[in-house]
Amino acid sequence: MTPGLSREDGQLKIRIMKGLELTPLRLVLLLAGIGFLFLLPAIARNTGNLPIRVRPIYRGMVLGLAAVGLNFLLRHADLTSFGHAAFFGTAAYTVAIMVQIFDIQSAVVLMAVAVVAATLMAALVGYFTLPHEGLYFALVTLAFGQLAFSIPVGISELGGTDGLNALTGASGVPIGEQYPRLGGLFFNGQEVPNTILFWVTIVIVVISLLVMYRLIRSPFGSALDAIGQQRTRARFLGLPVKRYVWAAFIISGIYGGIAGALYALFFSTSIDPGSTLQVFVSGDILYIAILGGFKTLTGPFIGGIVFETLSNVASDVVITGPAGETEVGRLITGAVLLVIVFGFPSGIVGSLKPGGRVYEAGRTLIRNPSVVGPWSRQAGRGVVDAGRRAVKNVRILIMGVK
Amino acid sequence: MVLGTPLTIGDLLQPERFITQTINGLQAGFVLFLIASGLTVILGILDVLNLAHGELYALGAFIASSVGGYIVGTGANAIVSPPSGFDPVSSFAFVGVLILIALITALIMVPIGAIVETTLIRPIYERSQVYQLVLTFAILLIIADIVTLVWGSDPQQLAFSTKQAVNDIPSFELVGLGNIPTLVLMVILVSLGLGVALFWFFGRTKTGRIIRATAIDREMATALGVSTDRTFTLVFALGSFLAGFAGAMQFVITRAQTGMGEQALVLSFVVIVVGGLGSLRGAVVGAVVVGVLQNWMIVINPDFQTAAPFAVMVLILLVKPEGLFGTWGERT
Repeated sequence: MTPGLSREDGQLKIRIMKGLELTPLRLVLLLAGIGFLFLLPAIARNTGNLPIRVRPIYRGMVLGLAAVGLNFLLRHADLTSFGHAAFFGTAAYTVAIMVQIFDIQSAVVLMAVAVVAATLMAALVGYFTLPHEGLYFALVTLAFGQLAFSIPVGISELGGTDGLNALTGASGVPIGEQYPRLGGLFFNGQEVPNTILFWVTIVIVVISLLVMYRLIRSPFGSALDAIGQQRTRARFLGLPVKRYVWAAFIISGIYGGIAGALYALFFSTSIDPGSTLQVFVSGDILYIAILGGFKTLTGPFIGGIVFETLSNVASDVVITGPAGETEVGRLITGAVLLVIVFGFPSGIVGSLKPGGRVYEAGRTLIRNPSVVGPWSRQAGRGVVDAGRRAVKNVRILIMGVK
Repeated sequence: MVLGTPLTIGDLLQPERFITQTINGLQAGFVLFLIASGLTVILGILDVLNLAHGELYALGAFIASSVGGYIVGTGANAIVSPPSGFDPVSSFAFVGVLILIALITALIMVPIGAIVETTLIRPIYERSQVYQLVLTFAILLIIADIVTLVWGSDPQQLAFSTKQAVNDIPSFELVGLGNIPTLVLMVILVSLGLGVALFWFFGRTKTGRIIRATAIDREMATALGVSTDRTFTLVFALGSFLAGFAGAMQFVITRAQTGMGEQALVLSFVVIVVGGLGSLRGAVVGAVVVGVLQNWMIVINPDFQTAAPFAVMVLILLVKPEGLFGTWGERT
């Protein structure tokens, strides 16, 4: 089916591709969002006091892309991976090894090889985690993630804990041209190549999201939904459960791989285990999916940008404790996560879209501003009740039920 | 391109070296058992994969550094100076003091664990498991920063003179293994004692049986009048107790430092996979295997020291995906 206009129930819809039809308003919002992303490098350049920086936002975009992959497993197959950094890091390290040791600088080749490497990694890890579900799946993926982390740490040729950089070691190459390149453009961290890489990444992300959209609406996606709800039932329906879960795991790993390769092209001078393979990176990817809203398609990606901006701001916060001044970035991100888990379990996008908590609250507020009073009373009562419950719990705990 | 340094298995086969590494491995394994047993029991009963467990262990180590610092001093600043050389009375008194430090630390961890369970984890039992993971991850982040906020990022050590006093007790020297400190023996024996107590608790006491019954069938236990809420809090507090005790042991033998929790957490996962979900016996075997293997690897090839436990895990997953000892509950 070709792109075009159609009318459904008197509502004008614009068809982008097969299965994807948007109302004009949503299309405008979407285009505005993408346009805003394209303008971000310029905004970051021209504003000093806003928390908009190209580096964290880029990191957020690629981690968000990895989170989109993780979300594919989480949302449809009901599997929580806690080891997605393995694919992210495999791709990043592949880029570094290809540039540094094999002197390949073409970004297209690098991307392709890195994604293949990540796919193989995902196939391998997926094979081992296949029999497991629920928490055990999370545990096993985490352990595999840590295995992937311990390999470069242990092998001194891969730089140990210092990691590698993606600069070619070939002789006779000027310093500015040692970086990965796209055509004649070297990604050497200067403003122009940085901005172009940023834009290329946006395009790749949009394509990846469209592919994911099609995938979710394909028979394969529906089959995964069935598997996620009840594996036994899905098997009785004749679905090849293991093969489908494995395929979903690999697809999810490919997204991690694309993200990792893009990360390595941008941060080519510092590809270290701590920022690409560590368990905290896996945790961040899961965090991002939850923050953005794991019941939505675009949520994880948006969550990535919000998360990195938040951690960038939070890492500047210093509290003076008994041991002197300490940065408390993790404390703040952890506290935000608590708020998300208890207050907004459907995440940012999930809360903002129609039917979401914030959206509905906003609509009620516009229709009848006087609800603020009952709301604040309700909130106060909620806090008091929670306190009472806590006291009661502790009392029962100590004295028993009397 | 040759990856890493070559394997030198021959070095490990020298008898003295082999025994030394194995004993060091046992010590590491027993401490790991204390951590992993708490994690595995929490997982088996509460059905919560507590990602913050490693940070509870690290928190225990730092609390022990404060408790120990208060009682005997830290690093080169000893408060109590033992006489130099082996003096039976003072040396054994210091052993008692170290055990006391560990016990106080573990007891401090009990209310911390109980509060974390009742206030944060309890509200989400009914919800999707992904929220548990994310919630415990949030607790991990928060505890990690609280630790650096309170104790800073420098490693903390127990007073050297206290360690020396314990090491002056002749132990391994008597059998010709002079390079193993007596502290190692002390940690092995104390952890072993606690491990035995744990098996006794779950196997012989009424509370332990109630906990196991809850693990086997939560609804049935409730129907028989067991308060699952209380059991859950108790189990979480017990896990915190064990993590705190393990942290104190680790602090006594080496130091308390940032980042120790993360490593312990991941190794505990390996232990659970190797031993089997929720199995205490499995935790013993898994922890000893991981500890000993890592210490053998120091001699064979230090590059593979971190990767070796995961190789074992992959092997177990291939051969026996449910772990060496199946699910816990029916047996300890």
